[in-house]
Amino acid sequence: MTPIDWLLKDAPLATRREITPKLGFLLTVLLAIVWLIPFLWMGVATLRPASEGINLMAELMPSLKPTLDNVRDAWEIGDFPRYALNTTIICTGILLVQFFTITLAGFAFARLDFAGKSLIFYLFLMQLMLVPVLLIVPNLRIIAQFGLYDTLAGVMMPFFASAFGTFLMRQAFEAIPTELEDAALIDGAGLFQRIRHIYVPLSMPSFSAFAIISVTSHWNDFLWPLMVINSPDKRPLTVGLSVFTATAEGTQAWGTIAAGTLMVIAPLLITFLIFQKRFISSFVTSGIK
Amino acid sequence: MSLAEPAALPVATSAAPRLHVLKRFVGRFKASLPAYLLLLPSLVFLALFTYGAMGRVIIDALYQRATPKAPVRFVGFDNIAAVLADPAFTGAVVNNLIYAVGTAIPSIGLALLFALALARTSAVSSALRAALFLPVLIPMVAASALFLFIFLPNVGLLDYYIGRLLPVLPNWLGDSDIALYAIMVITIWKNAGYYMLFFLAGLQSVPEDVMEAAHLDGAGPYQRLRHIILPELQPTFLFVTVIAILNAVTQVDHVFVMTKGGPSNATNLVLFYIYQQAVEHYDIGKASAATLLTLAALMGLTALSFRTMANREGGR
Amino acid sequence: MLFSRRLMLGLAMAGSLAGALAVPAMAEGPTEIDLFFPVPVDGKLARDMSTLIKEFNEGHPDIKATAVYTGSYDDTLIKTRASIKAGKPPAAVIMSANFLLDMQIENELTNLDPLIAADGTTKEQFLGQFFPALQGNAVINRSVYGVPFHNSTPLLYINADKAKEAGLDPSKPPQTWAELTDWAKKLTKREGDKVTQWGIAIPCAYDYCGWMMETLTMTNGGRYYNEEFGGEVYYDTPSMLGALTWWNDLVYKHKVHAPGATPGPAVSTSFISGNAAMMMLSTGSLTYVRDNAKFNYKVAFIPRNVRNAVPIGGASLIVPAGLEADKQKAAWTLIKWMTSPEKSAWWSRATGYFAPNMAAYKTPDMVDFLNKNPDAKTAVEQLEVAKPWFATYKTVPVRKTLEDEVMLVLNGKKQPKEALVAAQKAADETLKPYNAETSLKLP
Repeated sequence: MTPIDWLLKDAPLATRREITPKLGFLLTVLLAIVWLIPFLWMGVATLRPASEGINLMAELMPSLKPTLDNVRDAWEIGDFPRYALNTTIICTGILLVQFFTITLAGFAFARLDFAGKSLIFYLFLMQLMLVPVLLIVPNLRIIAQFGLYDTLAGVMMPFFASAFGTFLMRQAFEAIPTELEDAALIDGAGLFQRIRHIYVPLSMPSFSAFAIISVTSHWNDFLWPLMVINSPDKRPLTVGLSVFTATAEGTQAWGTIAAGTLMVIAPLLITFLIFQKRFISSFVTSGIK
Repeated sequence: MSLAEPAALPVATSAAPRLHVLKRFVGRFKASLPAYLLLLPSLVFLALFTYGAMGRVIIDALYQRATPKAPVRFVGFDNIAAVLADPAFTGAVVNNLIYAVGTAIPSIGLALLFALALARTSAVSSALRAALFLPVLIPMVAASALFLFIFLPNVGLLDYYIGRLLPVLPNWLGDSDIALYAIMVITIWKNAGYYMLFFLAGLQSVPEDVMEAAHLDGAGPYQRLRHIILPELQPTFLFVTVIAILNAVTQVDHVFVMTKGGPSNATNLVLFYIYQQAVEHYDIGKASAATLLTLAALMGLTALSFRTMANREGGR
Repeated sequence: MLFSRRLMLGLAMAGSLAGALAVPAMAEGPTEIDLFFPVPVDGKLARDMSTLIKEFNEGHPDIKATAVYTGSYDDTLIKTRASIKAGKPPAAVIMSANFLLDMQIENELTNLDPLIAADGTTKEQFLGQFFPALQGNAVINRSVYGVPFHNSTPLLYINADKAKEAGLDPSKPPQTWAELTDWAKKLTKREGDKVTQWGIAIPCAYDYCGWMMETLTMTNGGRYYNEEFGGEVYYDTPSMLGALTWWNDLVYKHKVHAPGATPGPAVSTSFISGNAAMMMLSTGSLTYVRDNAKFNYKVAFIPRNVRNAVPIGGASLIVPAGLEADKQKAAWTLIKWMTSPEKSAWWSRATGYFAPNMAAYKTPDMVDFLNKNPDAKTAVEQLEVAKPWFATYKTVPVRKTLEDEVMLVLNGKKQPKEALVAAQKAADETLKPYNAETSLKLP
């Protein structure tokens, strides 16, 4: 078996004589390699000693004299485990509250009839498109009034309601046949029991889709946490990372940047690589539309 | 909009119409109470952080100061007119359109390719999925840091390997003709794997037996894609397109880190323009006006796409 | 059961989280103050800043200062303004020196005169500690609003090895534009149409580009703006036209400077890699060049066409408006400590910025350092001819109108004259409201 055949045994469809799917698969393999190059460079540059000079900085062949100097520098500058913990707390906190709010609101839109439904629907819709930068000043004022300035809770709070999640749940709930619920109604189940025992278990795929969307977007937040947080020990990863990348007057230590970036993404990367099979597969087999 | 249709308005025909209407109103409110309770948690946060803030935006958009020390005064639609007359804003809108189309189409196209190629779960395809999904996991700030080096003139990754083959080394981020496309590359790299997930999931709903039957009937890969797979993926396309467009408008971290909208506004996007008005010009009136305009455009767009989605669901 | 157990748990967790993370109420004890600081050169300085503040806290038990990293200079401005609006201003901020006027116009700064007077010093004595060139950006309408903390000027960096290779004498660096053009031509290497080594690199990205235009215009005898009044810039003038035309010629006539707009980090990287034989860059990059250049380098004054002159750059310490008296006092103590000769000198050695306090150069450590690193002396010597950094009403937008046009010129899309006319027009438009209130407000 040639290497190409070995690769192609995983090509899609059982139609071995067709060439197009195989070409598509090869193209995907090629692109996957291209996709990895920035990561590869990051790893190689992290271990490259500064003494090799700037001209070899782009070289993807690892240095023969690898060093941990860059890692040490980055480690001394930032408290990365703490940053990772803060980011995790922020993302988890937001997600848990969101699960609560979107389940209830999604159910109301999917199954209940009420006065002013379209008005309220549009009220939700608008949140999808609000430009966060402009809301920074008014929201910061509210956070300060609540005494949540410089707290992780303050970073989380503006995101507790999610229009996007509400729509996602509305769609999922609508797809559930009403007959199931009717049976429960006969058994005398209350509203929340029906949500808990029928709607939520049947909508797990949508929950996981929303979880991914929510976590990846809040993992990336930079400007808002920068505004809310003062204490160094409450910084999330993105703010910690920008210590390396934001420079004012014209110099950048690329090796240290690579090391800092590596450390910022390492925890998530490792977690993902360990669980990726379960993560993507469960997502894939769930059949979210 | 069918999915949020309010119940038909009461048509009062009885002898005591006013009392009747009031009664119906109270009755309807009572009937609606459970729904309101369910919506309450969301509405509280929306009221605090979206509409409280939003109210400020609307008010701010109507006020302006004539001179730095003068108090703000009501100017009506002057701010909106000023924004529309600002070539930097219209430039940003054009850039944003190019950017939205130029990132959404390639990243969705690639995502579909990836999903089709990697639909079957195996060790190799799992590894490939992981590779393609990795960029999704890193913060945009981190991705920008990596690409800053990739695009660095002369010694950067791109010039080191590819630039040597070109007669003249392009200044990837410094040339106003190229910079926007350079920025788009990052977005595509970062988002294609994300959208791939949704297509992978969508592909699960393509019935296997239909595919096999089509194959036996001699339908080629293109025909199967065109007539079986794509129709089945239509909802996924809609969903992903909405996310892609929202991303194209609300994610500008890489512009912040890499170009600050330059050179000569070549990479200025609408959100960055708003940021500039708010922060650099310290002109909250104009920034709010630009926000309102953007919001109106996006609202229309999203309402449209949700309507299409709703119609697809059979007009329930 | 009303709610799902999991959801309840989530809510409870979020609730306790909010409780646990909220700031504890103000307790009796030292005055707690925040110092906002941007990262000036590279990440290591974030650590140096923590060291500095730790030392301050140990020496001042009645004050507890926290150094708050606030991103880039621009991010620092946003964060400062947002926290003033939220009613939680920091006690002191290291602010880009040319933002001060803008903030003063917006009533966001504390006038430092009363604090200086309370110390029993006169304004003249206080300002007398600092290099005269720095006062222009710290004093507004004869009141002190900022204390210079770390400052810079642009320098000409020369790759001495390459100069020798090209038959040039690096001990006699180019002093005029003509000489520099000649050097740049000799230092440019070509293979056919492809340039393998550029003679010179001058950075042009937002912020840097305006600073370099000010530099070139000054050495051409001109002024960028009205130093006494924030409502005028001089873009459409012969001196600036000459400056931009020369820059344009370096790119398109002599072909010794890469086309397009190149940001500072790309320029310094290009110089370090040997791809550019000379560059104009801030003194703030000196430490980076010293640590990373694998060749002999030489620094020199920015060459002149008409006269030697450069703008200053860097940052000053400011006290935002709206602070309680005790915090203001604590901030003032911190500021005086940080700008003292010893601390100023220490920070200068760590960063490459020069120390604004003249007495810093008399400290034994600094004398020692300058003997070991004579290149650091050039920056200080150039201060003799330094002038203030441009600061106008809406400094950044006014600067950006010029930068956008300069970038068009460097990208070959416009000629210098039409670019400057357009820049002047746009800048005048931005400055209009301020002039309406000041120079054009007639009885």
